[in-house]
This record gives sequence, structure tokens and C-alpha cells, in this order.
Amino acid sequence: MSYAIALRNRFGALQFQEYALALVVIGLFVAGAILKPDTFPTWDNVRNMLTQASVIGVLAVGMTFVIATSGIDLSVGSMVAAAGVFAGTMAEPSGGTLIFILAALAFAVLLGTVNATAITFGRVVPFIATLAMLSVARGLALIFNDKLPVGLLDLNGGSFGDPSPFSLLWFGTGKIFGIPVSVWIFLGVVVAGWVVLNRTRYGRHVVAVGGNREAARIAGVPVRRVIFSVYVLSGLLAGLATVLLCARLGSASPVSGELYELDAIGAVVIGGTSLAGGRATMVGTFLGVLTFALIFSLMTQLDLSTEIQQVTKGAIVLGAVLIQRPEGRY
Amino acid sequence: MSGAAPTAAGPGAAAGEILLDVRGLVKTYPGVEALRGVDFNVRAGEVHCLLGANGAGKSTLIKCVSGVVEPTAGEILVGGEPLPERDTGAALERGVATIYQELDLVEDLSVAQNIFLGHEPRRGPLLDLGRMRSEARDLLARLGHDKIDPRTPLAALRPAARQAVSIARALSYEVRVLIMDEPSAILDAGEVETLFEVVRRLTAEGVGVVYITHRLDEIKRIGDRVTVLADGATAADGIAADTATDELVWLMVGRKVERLYPERPRAAGEVLLEVRGVRALPAVRGVSFEVRAGEVLGIGGLVGSGRSELLRAICGLDPREAGEVTVAGKRLPPNRPERAIAAGLGLAPEDRKSQGLLLDWSLTKNVSLADLGRFSHGLLDVRGEREAVREQLRSLQTVPDDPDRSARELSGGNQQKVVLGRWLLRECRVLLLDEPTRGVDIPSKAEIYRIVTELAGRGLGVVVVSSELEELAGICTRVLVMREGEIVAELDGAKTSERELLAHAVVPTAGPDLIEEVA
Repeated sequence: MSYAIALRNRFGALQFQEYALALVVIGLFVAGAILKPDTFPTWDNVRNMLTQASVIGVLAVGMTFVIATSGIDLSVGSMVAAAGVFAGTMAEPSGGTLIFILAALAFAVLLGTVNATAITFGRVVPFIATLAMLSVARGLALIFNDKLPVGLLDLNGGSFGDPSPFSLLWFGTGKIFGIPVSVWIFLGVVVAGWVVLNRTRYGRHVVAVGGNREAARIAGVPVRRVIFSVYVLSGLLAGLATVLLCARLGSASPVSGELYELDAIGAVVIGGTSLAGGRATMVGTFLGVLTFALIFSLMTQLDLSTEIQQVTKGAIVLGAVLIQRPEGRY
Repeated sequence: MSGAAPTAAGPGAAAGEILLDVRGLVKTYPGVEALRGVDFNVRAGEVHCLLGANGAGKSTLIKCVSGVVEPTAGEILVGGEPLPERDTGAALERGVATIYQELDLVEDLSVAQNIFLGHEPRRGPLLDLGRMRSEARDLLARLGHDKIDPRTPLAALRPAARQAVSIARALSYEVRVLIMDEPSAILDAGEVETLFEVVRRLTAEGVGVVYITHRLDEIKRIGDRVTVLADGATAADGIAADTATDELVWLMVGRKVERLYPERPRAAGEVLLEVRGVRALPAVRGVSFEVRAGEVLGIGGLVGSGRSELLRAICGLDPREAGEVTVAGKRLPPNRPERAIAAGLGLAPEDRKSQGLLLDWSLTKNVSLADLGRFSHGLLDVRGEREAVREQLRSLQTVPDDPDRSARELSGGNQQKVVLGRWLLRECRVLLLDEPTRGVDIPSKAEIYRIVTELAGRGLGVVVVSSELEELAGICTRVLVMREGEIVAELDGAKTSERELLAHAVVPTAGPDLIEEVA
């Protein structure tokens, strides 16, 4: 037992899981290349996969921080919809891209702050607080524009076409060195998330709070402030995800972002971050996002229905949690 | 094991059959021998007191007997038959019930629901509430507590009444041996009388009662026989309860101890920590003292006397309702632990595993947690952090001193050094140590004493809270004794003894005659 722990520790439990997951990603890619040699291993397909993954990916980075504190944020999908419609109505008549982006970020941060306040000052458990926000934000998304989506093509002269740099659609479909801007942003957020989580005092505090709140408090970690901050951060990144999503679709829909929370939580969990807190890995989250993206791209190309994809998604998340079963007993 | 050879059952002991027989019980945890061969038996109709200093093995013995932990070696016979292994319910089924200090009742349920929790009377698939109430009423009446209405929510009851509910619950299981872990600790004098009345009723029915207490005077009043545990072994096995008090104290603490303690530090420096009238009810009721640089101040007392709560209130971990705390001239806000730490306070909590450490984290992260600012220049200098921690671990002679190991792998003594290392890295001025040697073996204890003394020598103020009064008498410059949330005595460490401290720590009724007999 102690030998097993020592061995695990020598290799690092997290790193082991990260290597294993990297192998899964490679395996999935190879499987796709074998099953669909003409369409799967193409640059176009990879670019598509990454572009689609970027929205969930940005949410998953925020979710990693939240889950590291042993919390959960169920409201990210609804926040994406609400922030999108809100920003759309703000920007639509006369405003520009900048107004849309600022409005989306600000509104999502506001919703995240409501979550944070309820959890830290109201002492509502995160599950309930964010479940309530899931409903509230979805309702707001429907109210803001009378249940209708807001078209955003005007921000690019009325069509998808070739987006000019820094117009809204450029963030969704524009490219830098052949790689979509949204993918650059996703990668940038992952790298920044890794640095903050592993190389700053704040990141260390986040994981400490999740690992042992009382021990963290005795060691002088400002526990309440840390917990507050992760929900605000999750809101901020939901705002960023809103921008990426709306930019790609050219509209802000009140029914967008449904079940995104499941995808984000699933990616974090199969990445190896512990739902019990105290153990978090940004590399794992990144690989988790890629795993999901690969699986669904492959399933779509194999003409498997979205129903089957949903069943698969849930099964993968359950399986991942079972594999990293915590030491706790029932 | 001791001078007092086991004698036959005392005069008061009923000559009942042996209900519970423990023979040569051994229990080892990694690095600690909690029980080293304990013999103990309980007869029908007697009150058998179990006595021992904190850490002597009483709790472990109870846990083994009630089937919560599995003994490493030895026999436990209930009604002549060995207890089956790996079956926590087996002891209860055979009539051995335990009432813990922390009553395991559910506040939101009614009295009757608590009594029958887990074995509710049923009629078909439905609860038989009528029978539950009437049987609960009968059980309480048997205990002389017929005033307690079975429908009352538990939360409305005072501690003494709750205890009666807990006993009634044990009786609902056809109990033959009832183990009571310090049942009087939460009661006042009048309530203790009621408790004794309950115990007498039970023994008259032929139940064997194991009564654990720190109050020596109670042994004579309620007990028939006494078993004394010291360092995990039986120092006296079932001697008469009217054995002289000083003989009992000697059996508890009079073991031979090697030269365990280093040279005692002397307080010389300025006042580093000043505590004035600190109150955090109900545990701390107005405490004042000061700690000087270079001094080791002991705070002794029994479990539940408010010592840990005092430390937590000083740090602001539990809010102070009144009083002032000043560290090196800086006054601390009442509920901001991070400010206390910034001012130079460091706490090594009572329970290292649940409060001190992140067990799955590396030693590096555990040690640096309180002082990440030192390595944070925008980003963390992880290499510098690791080196600084390695140096700290080496200077404390931690084994292993590899900063990449996880805290879980270390023994209790070394885990304690990791917690100490955290505050030394932080260069704190005043170190508050809560039970620093709990669960630590003798050689590691000696090391911790040496470290504590060295730190005081370097000019830190050190506060040591301990239930092991002997170690306070061994290492401290001054010792304060707490009882019921107040400081009741201040003694010169070099001149005091464990017995004197114990005399101050126990309740006043036992105090005066104990001093007379001991001194």
C-alpha cells in the first residue's frame, strides 16, 4: 500500500494520468485516420475540431479552477447564452465589435459575481447556487430579445465573407498563420491557466482551499476570497466563450450553450482534476477537451446520431469518475 | 507491570459472572504501539472504572472492545465467546454498547427517533410510531428520566438529558455491558448525581458498566473496581475502587521515563504575545496571559477545558467575542487568521492530518503554503521554493527530507516537523503548538522537545498546549492550567510536577483532598 503510494508519488499521479490521456488522444486520432482515411486526418478537419472545441475549452479552463476548490459551476452554458443575447442587444443597433465584447464579458462577470456572492457570503452550496443561476441566466437570455436570436452579421458588413481583422466575426472565422483566431485564443487561455494554476501564489491557494479548507485557513490562505474569485473567473471565461461562439455563428441565440456545463465538467474530470478538490491539472483539462472533440468528430463522420453521442458522452464522464475513484468510502 | 499486584475483586464488587474478558490485547498503528498487552474484565452488576492519562490507550481499548478497530493481537471474549473479526455490529449484537463523549445523536430527530435510530419498530413496511413512543417512554422511565417526552426534538434537551437519551438507546439493544467514555465531563455537579443514579439502576439490573473518567473522586463514589492504563499497558488490573488516590495517581503517571527533556529555556526577552480577557463562549471564558521571547509557556488541563479553543480564538480562527490579542505590539482583529499570521503568529493545530497538512501534497507545497509571498515575484520561483524547503526539512532532521514526497507517507512525528517547518520558514515570532506530541513515539517526542527548546533559545515565544501534563512540567518555563474555560493556576515549570498540575486541572471537588494526599 505504502509502496504503491510511493511509486505513484515518484511518477506523480497526475503526470501518469496525463500521459495516459495523451495516448488516448493519439489513439483516437489514429483510429479516425484508419476508419475515415479520406476525411479525418485532414488539416481542415483538425481545424474544425479545434475551432469547435475552443468554446468548451475556454469554459473548461475556468471550470478547472472552480473544481479545484471542490466547487462546481453548472451555470456556464446559460451564462454564455445570456451574455450573448445581452451583448447582442447592446451592440446591434449602432455599436461595434468592441461594445459587444465588453458587454459580453461584463455581463458574464456580473453573473459570476452573483454566484460567488451567494456561495461565499450566503453560504449556499455551489451546486445549488449555480443550478439556480443556470435557470436564471437562461431565463434572462430568453427575456432580453423576446426569445429571438440577435443577428450579428452587421458587425461585419452583413455577411460572413472575409472578416476584417478585429471585427467580431474575425474572432470566429479569421485566421492567423492558417490557424483560426478562436483556436489561438483557446490555446492562450490554456497556457495562461496553466501558469496561474501552477506558477502563482493564487493558483496554489486555489488548490489548497479545495484540498483541505481548514488547513489552508490555518496556514493563512484567505479562503473566502479565493472561493469568491474562482466563480468570478468562471464568469469571465464564460464571457470569453460567448464571444468565440457568437463570432463563429454570426448570431447570439438564447438557446445556445445548452449542456455546455456538462461538456466542460466532463473534460475537466476526464483530465484528472479531482471533483473532491485538492488536485487539479490544466494539461489534463486540455487533453480532456481534445478527447471529447476527437470522439464527436469521429462519431459524426461515422454517421452516428447525436443521441448516441450524448449517451457516449455521459458514459465517458461516468467512466472517468469511476477510474479516479476517491479514497472515500460509503 | 507495576508495584500494585492485581488483587481480587474489591469489597464492593459484585461476584457476578464475567461478561467481558479482554486478554493480552495489543494494537499497533504505523509507528505507534497504542496497546501493549492489556488485561481487563467486567463482571455483571459492577461498575468498573478505567483510568489513565491521555494517550494511555483508553480510547483504543474501547474502540477494540466495541469492534470499531481491530486488535493486532490478543483476545476479546464476550460472554465467554470471542468477538468475530471484521464485524463492527457484532459487539452491539452481543450486548456491548458504548456511549462516547461526543454523543452520536441526531439533533433534528425526536427523542424516540434517536433511541430507535437504525432499528425502528415496524408494523409491516411502516414505522410503528405508537410502539416506538411507548417503548421509548419505558426505557427513559427505567433510567428515572420519565420527565423526558419522547416526542421532544433532541435539540431542545440539555446535555444531561441527551446523555440519558443516549443511554436509553443503548438499553434498547438488550445491553449487558455499557461502556461510558467520560460521561461526567459535560455535566455539572447536580447532573452527575442523576447520572450516578442511572448507573446504580443499571448495575442493580445486572448490567456491567465500564466507567471512564479523569475525576479521581468519582471512582470512589461510583466504582467497584479500577483498572489503570499507562502507556498502553495495564498498570493495575481490577484493583479495589477504594484504593488511595495518590496510589492511583502514581499508577497513572509513575512510570519510569528516560531523560526526555532538554535544558529548560528561561524567559528573558520582551513580551511578544499579549492576551487580555479573551472570550469565545462557551469554551473560553475570559483568559489573559503573556508570552515573552525565549520562553516556552505551557497550557495544561483536561480535554474539554478550552485549551484548543483558546488557541483558535487567539489566531482568529474562531471569532473572539471579547478581549484583545497583541502580537509584538500589533493588535489583531478578532476574526482574521491571515492577519494574525502576518503579525507573526503560527499555529500547529491539534489534528495534523485534518487541520495541519494537505496529505496528498508534496512536502514542498505543505511547508511553503504559509509563505508563498517569499517565492512569488509575479510568478512562483518553484526551484527556490523547493531548495528553501529542503533546507528547512534538513535542519529539522525530517525523515525523509525529500521535498517531493507526499505528506501522507511520513510518520506522525515527521508530519509535525513539516508543520513546524512551515512556520519556521515563515519566520514567525510566536508559535502556538496544540498537542505537538500526540500520536508521536517516544524518540520523536524527545526530538520535538529539543526543537521547541531550541526555537525558544532563538528568541521565539512558544506556547505548548498539552494533555500530557508530564511533558509540560518537563519542558516549560511557566505552566498555566485551564479548567472550564478559565486559567486557574500559574506555576513555575521548573518547580511544578505532573501531580500538582493534575490537581489543579481536575474539578474543585477533587482538588483540595488530592493536593493533601499527594503533597
